[in-house]
Amino acid sequence: MREREQLLRDIGMADFVLTELALFLDTHPQDRRALEYFNHYNRIKIQMEKEFSQKYFPLNLRLTDCGKEWRWGEAPLPWEGECA
Amino acid sequence: MHEHFKDNDCDKFPVAMAYVPWQEFNGMYDDLEKAYCAGTIFPELDKPFTGRRCVS
Repeated sequence: MREREQLLRDIGMADFVLTELALFLDTHPQDRRALEYFNHYNRIKIQMEKEFSQKYFPLNLRLTDCGKEWRWGEAPLPWEGECA
Repeated sequence: MHEHFKDNDCDKFPVAMAYVPWQEFNGMYDDLEKAYCAGTIFPELDKPFTGRRCVS
């Protein structure tokens, strides 16, 4: 459980960084360095999301790779006491 | 618009108008945990409320 929580937290942190950079880029669309940071963390977040979805359960429908069975319902439900 | 806000003799600006200095990108926190808890990735925007004085 520990590792799953840590990976989910890392995804959340990467998402936070991307939101911050997006807010900055909204007013500074030409800023090269901010753009590079955004692309860098975007790749990391996508990679972590894929890893999480394969190892545990898909975080959203877009990440659901329907191999042999439908895994979308595997995520613990929010009212089941442990939200993801 | 950027140049106009760069010079800082304030008497040239009309009164009762708010002016925010233009933010330049000079890096972000490497430690994402620290940024996450601070609520910003930009050190220059990390101004925790200390209950008494303003953090510069």
